[in-house]
Amino acid sequence: MKSRYDITCHLKRHRLLAELTQQDLADRVGATRQTIHAIEKGRYAPSVGLALKLAAVFEVAVENLFTLDEGEDDG
Amino acid sequence: MGETKRRWRPTPAGLISGALVGLGFGLSGVDWGFIALAGLGAFGPGVLRELGWLRDRDEFQLEAARRAGYHGFLAAGILLFVIVAQVERAATGDVTYAAGPIVMLVLGVMWFTGLLSSLFAYWGPRRTARRVLLIFGGVWLLFTVLSSIGEEEPGLALLMQSLIVLPFFGLAWLGGRWPKAAGIVLLACTVFFAHFFGLGRLVDDPLSHGRTVAMVLFLGPLASAGLAFLQRDPDDEPESPLPA
Repeated sequence: MKSRYDITCHLKRHRLLAELTQQDLADRVGATRQTIHAIEKGRYAPSVGLALKLAAVFEVAVENLFTLDEGEDDG
Repeated sequence: MGETKRRWRPTPAGLISGALVGLGFGLSGVDWGFIALAGLGAFGPGVLRELGWLRDRDEFQLEAARRAGYHGFLAAGILLFVIVAQVERAATGDVTYAAGPIVMLVLGVMWFTGLLSSLFAYWGPRRTARRVLLIFGGVWLLFTVLSSIGEEEPGLALLMQSLIVLPFFGLAWLGGRWPKAAGIVLLACTVFFAHFFGLGRLVDDPLSHGRTVAMVLFLGPLASAGLAFLQRDPDDEPESPLPA
């Protein structure tokens, strides 16, 4: 899902593969279902701490959940 | 995967603050000093959250609240400069304005702006716009029905007055399919009704209380829904493919 920020979010795909509901995932990372929904819809970019927690749930690197859009790197 | 949403329940802080606001406004008829209870209910939880003494919101909810507060600050600030200009201008002609209605107007604009900002964060701009139009149309339709009671020909009065309201239901439907078209139509309606209500006279006398309230309550939802429909909404973006 393209974000209002310059990142692409792959969280929903990982969540569906893990057969988790938004509420399940929210409970695991200490957030609300609204927050997970907003992240998946690209309306909210999580803090570093929350992003790391989300990555830990799926046992992947944060970069597997959130990627920078191409051409946005200022170097 | 289907989501089973937990039924929304108000938090204890929300219940207490709501009770204080209701109590404050309710008892203000006895003594205006009780309005302080409403202020405590409206702003107390936010102060406690910023102090770290109340932890009932996660990071997304806190950010949405802070952004809503900033947007409310901007809207109220702009309005205050207009009001100050008018008050100072009127003072030279020995005209005075009561403080209460001015304060309530500024607080109302600030609250409404903050509410819309929060809804944009939770629902997204276009869903918010559709719901604002439906609620707006529903409330005005209810008002139309109630006001037609007692008319000599209530059916005719209801029909004529509901013609004003029905386009908003239509625009909510249009916004679901062609949001940019709906946005342009709504902004055009805002300009039209601003002229119809006499925006020029409002600039001359923004503290004409009834006119200002009518414009805020009528034009506010139209303009905000129009702008929301014209915003890029992440809900419209295609799903990203699975990473390799």
